[in-house]
Amino acid sequence: MDPVVKIRVEGLTFRYGARTVLREVSALFLEGALAAIVGPSGRGKSTFLMALNRLWEEVPGAHAQGRVWVRLDGRERLVSDPSFPATELRRRVAMVFQAPNPLRMSIFNNVAFPLKVMGQRNKRLVAQEVEGALRRAFLWDEVKDRLDEDARRLSGGQQQRLCIARALAAQPDVLLLDEPTSSLDARAAGVIEDLLLTLKRRCTLVVVSHYLEQVERLADQVYEVAHETLEILS
Amino acid sequence: MSRRERLVRKILGTATLCAAALPLSILIFMLILARPLLSSFSVSDLLTGSWAPLQGRYGILPMMVASFLLASCSLAVSFPVSLGCAGLIFGLTPPMLAVPLRRLVQLMTGFPTVVYGFVGVFLLVPTVRHLFHAGSGRCLLSALVPLSLMITPTMTLFFSDAFAAVPRPILLAAAAAGADPVQRFVWVVIPSARRGLAAGLVLSFGRALGDTLIALMLAGNAAQVPSGFLESARTLTAHIALVIAADLQSLEFASIFLCGMVLYVLTSCAALCAWKMRAATRKNSR
Repeated sequence: MDPVVKIRVEGLTFRYGARTVLREVSALFLEGALAAIVGPSGRGKSTFLMALNRLWEEVPGAHAQGRVWVRLDGRERLVSDPSFPATELRRRVAMVFQAPNPLRMSIFNNVAFPLKVMGQRNKRLVAQEVEGALRRAFLWDEVKDRLDEDARRLSGGQQQRLCIARALAAQPDVLLLDEPTSSLDARAAGVIEDLLLTLKRRCTLVVVSHYLEQVERLADQVYEVAHETLEILS
Repeated sequence: MSRRERLVRKILGTATLCAAALPLSILIFMLILARPLLSSFSVSDLLTGSWAPLQGRYGILPMMVASFLLASCSLAVSFPVSLGCAGLIFGLTPPMLAVPLRRLVQLMTGFPTVVYGFVGVFLLVPTVRHLFHAGSGRCLLSALVPLSLMITPTMTLFFSDAFAAVPRPILLAAAAAGADPVQRFVWVVIPSARRGLAAGLVLSFGRALGDTLIALMLAGNAAQVPSGFLESARTLTAHIALVIAADLQSLEFASIFLCGMVLYVLTSCAALCAWKMRAATRKNSR
């Protein structure tokens, strides 16, 4: 069976003010695969991720052109389609950032946040989803007795897994991860890597990484950002 | 350290000491000038008694109540308006509207109080008089509306600063979780900025408490504890402005320094609270 294309990017050009970061980029990401994007710092890897879920719209001065389709519920959706709300897109194409960024609320409320914004009021269901997301992020056993504690009191590695759990809570189809292990020590990074391999079975992953060894261990597809464009390496 | 550096340090240190000593010397100055009153009556009598100098009563309770009532109510009126304006400036509206709105608010902070007073005298007082048949129309309500309008821009700017201090990664995290701008504002920005908001409230309270002209021109200036918003009332600041022309040796004249001390202590407490809360906000946003 041919692999299904989950994300299709065509002619994506991205600018910050007058500076062009990406020019006429095209790429395909396969469903259920882990794609890695490598390349030197400041060349637009993170920007590329933000183009996939329209998060660039929140960045002052950013401007994108081109087309990105994501296959959701069996059909391709154009992410820039005005009838496709950015809020829904971002729940289906979730993102985890380089530095852990827990919201200033409890561990439970952090993970429940995407459900709250979706309007989920059923407390029992929310509790179930939060537990599920924390288990999938390998964090449940460490936090199950302190769910009401401020999330910022967790260690760096735990905070990053919490952010992954938050991204997973709304059951996304795609998970974008921007150098998720760069601010962590080797042990915490190892836990996240194992987690990514497990998550690959549930959703499509696009991971920006600096570490070539990590990419070799994890990735099914590898793209490199060079000269304002994206080139497939393997 | 070179000789020149030592000299600069000494000069700056002396300047700092002088700046710190100045407010303290004002308090001592007021204490000395209020002494005739303080030596004739007990502090509790002065703070809880009524104002009737002809009967030998120099209590400033009516003025304290009027000041507190007017400042608190104007704060209650302008809080939701300021929160809304600051929200719009922060990003609930596109930049093409948010930028002019911020400019307008900044411009409004520069309006002299007397402008609000005049607008009140010529527009609000007659309206209140006709609508509520409230005597001359000079009452707490007539002062409350322009005072709320006057502190709204200041409070809006304090709130805007508090919102701007919310770290960007948190906002991006909320956006990435699928929150729309209103959800981000209500569930993430406001809770994160709550200390800054509280500091803005306290500082605005100090501003409202310290205003003289609006209360003097519009509140009616009767030295009585007001029992409603349509009653005439005299604030501490208005009392100072009214009695300042009295005989320098009289006890009435000494009472204005007591009023000054009450205002001084209240606004100092407000400023200290705000300073503490803002320091905590900055520490939190790091």
